[in-house]
Amino acid sequence: MPSVTLETVGRHFGEVKAVDAIDLAVEHGEFVTLLGPSGCGKTTTLRMVAGLERNDTGRIAIGGRVVSDALADLFVPPDHRKLGMVFQSYAIWPHMTVFDNVAYPLAVRRVGKAEIRDRVTAALRLVEMDRFADRPAPALSGGQQQRVAIARALVFEPEVLLLDEPLSNLDARLRTQMGDEFRALQKRLDITTLYVTHDQEEAMALSDRVVVMQRGRILQADAPEAVYRRPASRDVAAFFGAPNLIDATVTGCRTDASGVHTLTVEGAGGRGACRAGQPFPAGTSVLVVVRPEDVALGQADAPPAGAQPAGDRLAWTGRVTGGVFRGSRRSLTVDAAGLKLNVECPATRAAAVGDMVTLLVDADNAWALKA
Amino acid sequence: MVTIVAPLGERKPLLSGLWRYSRGAGISALIALLCFLSLYPMIMLLYGSLHSTPPGIPGVFNLDGYLAIATTENLIVLANTVGISLVKTGLALVLAVLLAWIVARTDTPGRGILEVLITLPFFIPPILTATAWAMLGNAQVGTINLAWRWLTGGDGTLVDVYSYGGVIWHMMQYSTPFIFLFVVDAFRAMDPSLEESSRMSGATRWQTFWRITLALMLPVTTSAFLLSFIRGVESFESAVFFGTPVGIEVITTTIYHSITQRAQPDYQSATALSFAALALMFLLVLLQNRLLRGRSFTTVTGKGYSPNITRLGRLRWVTFALCIAFFMVSVALPIGQLLLSSFFKFFGFYQADMLTLDHYRNVWENSGFWRAFRNTLLLGFAGATATMALGGIVAYVTTRTRWRGRRLIDVLAWLPWMMPGMVLGIGFLWGFAILPHAIPIYGTLWALLLAYIALGTPVAVRVTSAAYQQIATDIEECSRVHGAGWWQTLGRILIALAWPAFAVGWVLIFFGIMRELSASILLYAPGTEVLSVVMLKLWVGGKPEEVSVIGLVMLILVLVFRWVQLRFIKKRISTL
Ligand SMILES: Nc1ncnc2c1ncn2[C@@H]1O[C@H](COP(=O)(O)OP(=O)(O)O)[C@@H](O)[C@H]1O
Ligand SMILES: [Mg+2]
Repeated sequence: MPSVTLETVGRHFGEVKAVDAIDLAVEHGEFVTLLGPSGCGKTTTLRMVAGLERNDTGRIAIGGRVVSDALADLFVPPDHRKLGMVFQSYAIWPHMTVFDNVAYPLAVRRVGKAEIRDRVTAALRLVEMDRFADRPAPALSGGQQQRVAIARALVFEPEVLLLDEPLSNLDARLRTQMGDEFRALQKRLDITTLYVTHDQEEAMALSDRVVVMQRGRILQADAPEAVYRRPASRDVAAFFGAPNLIDATVTGCRTDASGVHTLTVEGAGGRGACRAGQPFPAGTSVLVVVRPEDVALGQADAPPAGAQPAGDRLAWTGRVTGGVFRGSRRSLTVDAAGLKLNVECPATRAAAVGDMVTLLVDADNAWALKA
Repeated sequence: MVTIVAPLGERKPLLSGLWRYSRGAGISALIALLCFLSLYPMIMLLYGSLHSTPPGIPGVFNLDGYLAIATTENLIVLANTVGISLVKTGLALVLAVLLAWIVARTDTPGRGILEVLITLPFFIPPILTATAWAMLGNAQVGTINLAWRWLTGGDGTLVDVYSYGGVIWHMMQYSTPFIFLFVVDAFRAMDPSLEESSRMSGATRWQTFWRITLALMLPVTTSAFLLSFIRGVESFESAVFFGTPVGIEVITTTIYHSITQRAQPDYQSATALSFAALALMFLLVLLQNRLLRGRSFTTVTGKGYSPNITRLGRLRWVTFALCIAFFMVSVALPIGQLLLSSFFKFFGFYQADMLTLDHYRNVWENSGFWRAFRNTLLLGFAGATATMALGGIVAYVTTRTRWRGRRLIDVLAWLPWMMPGMVLGIGFLWGFAILPHAIPIYGTLWALLLAYIALGTPVAVRVTSAAYQQIATDIEECSRVHGAGWWQTLGRILIALAWPAFAVGWVLIFFGIMRELSASILLYAPGTEVLSVVMLKLWVGGKPEEVSVIGLVMLILVLVFRWVQLRFIKKRISTL
């Protein structure tokens, strides 16, 4: 049974449809991330699950119990939903010590003194903050506050943990470290987690499943690799990095035994094979998504060693029109018969402006979408 | 070439020397003026408390004054003063927090208007509501009791304002909006996630309110409580109206009576008592500083949060009614009473054949009233302008320059804050009386003006320095780099940018002057009465109906200024 279920859940503020009838099911122990640009409705969705915001439409269930049903006018207040939440600002209470902050969820549930002491100490140890128990909360750094906020959210063993951009107030180095630590903790405790971020790398690195949102709707919900390499639409593709979106026409289509669709396509300056999520009849225009880092660079007419046979790849020939050295890698722009392609290649690849090159992409790394 | 360079090279040190000289002279003049306004009356209190005869009469120095005030009656007076102020502050705090919560955190209808209505009593001179309540809550003929008897058909008494309860109730009408102004912003500015995380932790609304919301506001409420308590100790009107007739005396009324009520005014003991009051205030201020040091949590983050709004459902009409009720009893009821009694021959006898316009005619034809009206307006305009000018300069020197002597200036300008109007009045009484005859301040409008300036300066400094601090220093430096002189910079840039604060401060000081009674009653002389003094004299002289007419005139002034303030100066002030 899923831990959290959303059915056609929506919410509007005045004219703005912040969340527009979304469906989502989060399995027990799963780490699901809501990802999307600022203002797309992630926070509103999370707050509706939390019970801090009421949904105008649809139903929300947590652990099989319906906690909010717009039609039946049912609404369970946040303090009865048994959820842990970590806020973007951490919301550590400045008038309490670290210990009191973490003890609060137990204290309001009238747990005994001795038990509180044990459980708070255990929760603080979990986030390696037990040494700071007696510190007043304002005397903590951002990273420490974040740990306290996590300990406070976990201390009463909630059914689901909700986090709203918990890492966005930390500096880049700490962000990666805290993210990895948190993911390890989540796996160890096997706690269902709904996480909100606008940072795609963070979403990829942490989640079992990424839910890409835009303007209040869900565009795609899938494993990180799938949303990255097999996007369901142009918007999803464009959300991650700056892929090359190449117009092409289908010349053939075959589907193998395992249900993989492979197209042969032809476009400006190049041709070859790519994968697709559905069969396309010959003659249709498609959009081929190719990520700059998946493009291999060869000398004209000399494919690089280990490349796929010509039948299972895309190839273009073009002229290098620009190059930027970025340390570990080099960004090139290549003009292939009017088509401009961005290529990321190892920095050691010495391709000078003006050189003729061949661009090769494995069919597995090229993904066709309906144009 | 040489002839051109030489004069330039010579002129430079001359100019900067001149500048330094004039700056030094300016600073000295400023310090001298502030000393005269604050330190001088304090020293004169000490002097007068040791001086055996009234001001201006030769005498000897002894400790009789202090011996005279060390009595059991004065212990009761002290207990009354502190007790009444504690109780009224406590009650007002509870009410103010409730009202502020309703206005800032619930979906009660019409909250914008309610806020204006709730804070309105603060701007109405206390003497005005005191006279009104004396007529509303008189045990025999008070309107409330008359209405009660008419309703019940009996001859019972519902309220009697001539009691501890009456004194406390009247003070509360001022303390509640005062504390409200502090607390309502604290409610608004709180980061909502601090409360939301409490709900997520499993706390109910109620638990969250007590353990998080109120706990987070503790620094603000403590400071509002202490400020309001200190003002309660200084207060005069409520006790002189409702306490004195039934023998409930506080420090200010005791000082007042030992000068005005005895056959032989006892200046020495009055002054000794004033000095003791000053010492008490000093202790309170020390306590305040101790309690508040390092006790401010930044619960406000830069983000433009909209605070958590509690949906009250049908209950929101109850909260609406509560706010309206506070406005009704603190503003509408007193004003209604003034209107009512101004049209009847005698208040308490509201029959058709007693209707009259005589009181209006009497006031209209009373040259004393017109003189007081002119004096009040003149002192209000001149006093507010002079106080803001002084405050603006003091605030500039203390916040914007590194000149030597600025700390001293800061302290001197703040000193009057510790002095109740009554105490400052006594100090000035002595101070003006012993000045040589060539400086005739005593008995002129100057005496009142100087006292008003002294009383208003701390507020003026606070309002303007808060405004200066919000203006980045580089704007000012930029202006100076581009060739504007010091005075030009002060005038063009700072005043231009800080003018809303100046306007707010000006109106505040004007209100302060219009309501001032306790210093005025000591410093006025025949011909220099102000409206509040005339009202008290007419009241004591048994003409409450004419007091009502004057009260209404005063009220119109207040409402016009308050309206102008709200209409044209959007920025609300909570630094009072
Ligand atoms: N309390 C509110 N009142 C009015 N509009 C809101 C409120 N909360 C969110 N919105 C609007 O709803 C949309 C989604 O907001 P939000 O869920 O915070 O987005 P995200 O978290 O993805 O950045 C935005 O357009 C935002 O302006
Ligand atoms: Mg958000």
